[in-house]
Amino acid sequence: MAAWQAGLLLAAAGALAAGLFRLKVRPPRVILPSLLLWRRVLDDVREVTFWERVRRAASLGATVMIALALAFAITRPSCATRGVAVPRGRTLIVIDASSSMLARTKSGETRWARAIAEARRIAAAAADAVSLATTADGLVEGPTTDVGVIDAALDRIAPAGEASWWPRSGDADSIHFITDGAIASDLGPRTSDSPVTIHSVYEPAGNVAITAFDVRPSLASDHAGDAYLELANYAAAAQTVHLTVARGRTDVLDRQLDMRAGEALRQILPLSRGGEPALRARIEAPTDALAIDNEAVAWIEHARPLLVTIVGQHTSWLAGLLARDPDVRPTFVDPSSDVRPDGEDVIIFDRWTPEEPPQRPSLSFAPPLETTSEELRPAWNAAGSHPVLSGVDPFTLSIDKARAYPLPKLSVIAQSGRGTPLVYAGESGNHRMVIVTFGPTESNLASAPAFPVLIGNALDWLGRVSSAGSHRPGPMTFDEAVVDVKDPRGADVPLTRFNHAAVGLLRSPGLYIADGAAARTAIAVNAGDAQVSNLLQTTLTAEDQRRHVAAGVSQRPWWMYSVAVAFALAFAEWWTWQRRITV
Amino acid sequence: MALRFDDDFLRKLEYLHVVSRRALAGQNRADRITPMRGRGLEFADHRPYAAGDDFRHIDWKAYKRLNRLLLRLFDEERDLPMYLLLDVSRSMAEPAKFDMARRVAAAICYIGLAHLDRLTLLPFTQGLGQEMVGRGKARIFRVFERLERLEADGTTDLRASFQAFATRPRHPGLVVVISDFLDPGGFEAGLKMLRTLGHDVFVVHVTSPRDRDAGGFGDARFVDAETGEMRDVDVTPRLAAMYAQAWDAHATELDRFCVRYDIGCVRADADRPFDEIILKAFRLGRFLA
Repeated sequence: MAAWQAGLLLAAAGALAAGLFRLKVRPPRVILPSLLLWRRVLDDVREVTFWERVRRAASLGATVMIALALAFAITRPSCATRGVAVPRGRTLIVIDASSSMLARTKSGETRWARAIAEARRIAAAAADAVSLATTADGLVEGPTTDVGVIDAALDRIAPAGEASWWPRSGDADSIHFITDGAIASDLGPRTSDSPVTIHSVYEPAGNVAITAFDVRPSLASDHAGDAYLELANYAAAAQTVHLTVARGRTDVLDRQLDMRAGEALRQILPLSRGGEPALRARIEAPTDALAIDNEAVAWIEHARPLLVTIVGQHTSWLAGLLARDPDVRPTFVDPSSDVRPDGEDVIIFDRWTPEEPPQRPSLSFAPPLETTSEELRPAWNAAGSHPVLSGVDPFTLSIDKARAYPLPKLSVIAQSGRGTPLVYAGESGNHRMVIVTFGPTESNLASAPAFPVLIGNALDWLGRVSSAGSHRPGPMTFDEAVVDVKDPRGADVPLTRFNHAAVGLLRSPGLYIADGAAARTAIAVNAGDAQVSNLLQTTLTAEDQRRHVAAGVSQRPWWMYSVAVAFALAFAEWWTWQRRITV
Repeated sequence: MALRFDDDFLRKLEYLHVVSRRALAGQNRADRITPMRGRGLEFADHRPYAAGDDFRHIDWKAYKRLNRLLLRLFDEERDLPMYLLLDVSRSMAEPAKFDMARRVAAAICYIGLAHLDRLTLLPFTQGLGQEMVGRGKARIFRVFERLERLEADGTTDLRASFQAFATRPRHPGLVVVISDFLDPGGFEAGLKMLRTLGHDVFVVHVTSPRDRDAGGFGDARFVDAETGEMRDVDVTPRLAAMYAQAWDAHATELDRFCVRYDIGCVRADADRPFDEIILKAFRLGRFLA
């Protein structure tokens, strides 16, 4: 809104309030037996106090003030454009959306808040259309001449971690890049030759961060893995850091660490078998400007043995294999007995099938179901790309008979040369299922080299969540087979699909679970990074920092005080009117 | 409004009778003792016989003892002329207030008629309305009907009304004025006139909460029920307090005036129970006994 428009609106609001005040509501008629006594009261010469003389004017003033305060709050005429020189023409405002922008400054505000305030000032000062973009989301809004739209977009955006690319600048005549310089050099080539004005929100700040956290396989067979942890004190002074590492809800490490200025500590923590697969490290320190890197997560792939129930009458061919696998704890059940274990991760049905569909992930061998066709001595020539078949050498298998089942919900992941399904996989009733269409008596499966690979793959695919390692916040590319990605709070992460891939923006740190036909994968997103967490350094040159965004610009918007004043005045007016102090 | 009272209440009323501060006598024989000597049943005195006196009243037993002819004298028992002046101006139009005034009037009428007093009911505003004269308990239903038919209308002028009352020769009696006494011309002149005429005057000051309180606070357009005069008033707590003071002054002024001129005065608040006013307040005010 232009200044003259705002002024006009304010004048109109004031005039309207004054007019309405003068109009007033017609007083109610009260019929009295006689005005005799009222006449005596009113005609008495009585002393009129100062307040009685001015209270009408005070009420009028309060009413006009309320109207003006509300009009100010609505129009928000910007007087904060002082010091921001924006050339004529289209303006593109680019805000650095890296995690380091969440660092608190000495004034208590974050670099991000300063950047938003600076963006508002630039937008308000711009004479032509304004566009808004971030280094993570690209173009967010615009081009538009409506500052309100830009304001709304500024309220919407948030840091998204790792910077990715320069947004398309289009035909912008000037580009204003607001950054702290943590990742400015990683943005890649710009798509426009328009001049870039850098607005620096950099201010050195002390910070302590978890700069690395991951789980690696352990050489010891009785360990589920080793957690690797790296802490760094990017503060100007030594300080004591409180470190805790928790596995699920159980603390596995709780330690106070004395760290010198600039010191990095590394720790390897052996993780025993059993327990929760989610590992969480957390630090607390007195000088710590960035909170996002104080916590890190990791996923232990083989945290505990897989509980497998094998249902069948002649399961000795499976028993030998599963008993030797330390990551599997098998339980054998005769289908004729009433004993049914509960809480297993995977059920293997050996040439037997239950009446009701299993409520757990299951692997079935030659189930006695209705078949549509059978093939004698089928030839398995291609291994297929499904994770269940990864590393399976089909040429070592000799199959005498395979069956085709009417299973529309499952996909055929391996078939014979004539098209007879050999392995089905898929989901049925929210549970994964793998069906091998031949049994050990109809093939050399039990003795073939492909057997342990196939069983291992199938159990992993059915019952385990694999780890995709540690990533930084920001966009991540997934396999096209990934169906959905859940963020740490369980909400779906929007996926953009193109070129046989899916891209999702993992904004906040935490454990994300990617689910799809391929596998379930845990992605540990940690913000800690030597580049992001070291808030004492910047890539901005002294020239870049010339346009420094001053502290305090992102204080609570003044119009909120205006609204508060309006409400306070309205309340005071109402309260005093109720008591006839004002009119 | 129905002015019928329940039997129990009427029985209570029959035990009451109107007290006149002065011994006033009407024209007809009744059961109210007068200062006159006459043909009543109560022995009063003796006096020497004079020629022409009725032989039947000579006290022969006294003659035998004293050897003098003495005449036995008896109290004259007459009725009490009661004039009930009921304010029916628009200032009395508030239902609770008007009902209270009419019910008080009805009760007094019943008590008077039950004791064979001669009752004259006179509604007034700026002058007197149609008067109704009655004697004897049988008239009470006609009195009730008359009171029920009354409607509040017109403006109050006590002086003009009482002047009209004075223009007709009437036996000195008990004048009961039932009004709110909200007369811009004042109540003093009218009441003084009644006293000057030799009547025993008794006032019943009918009030309502609306008279006493300023009501709610805030802007209001007050309309005079009688004159239609309007006044925009912003009722503040201070103004309301001043109004309450003005009301108290008005009531005190009436009380003082009545004390000074030996006029009985009772206040009948419309928000008080009617039975309590009749059976307690009127007794305390020495109007009923």
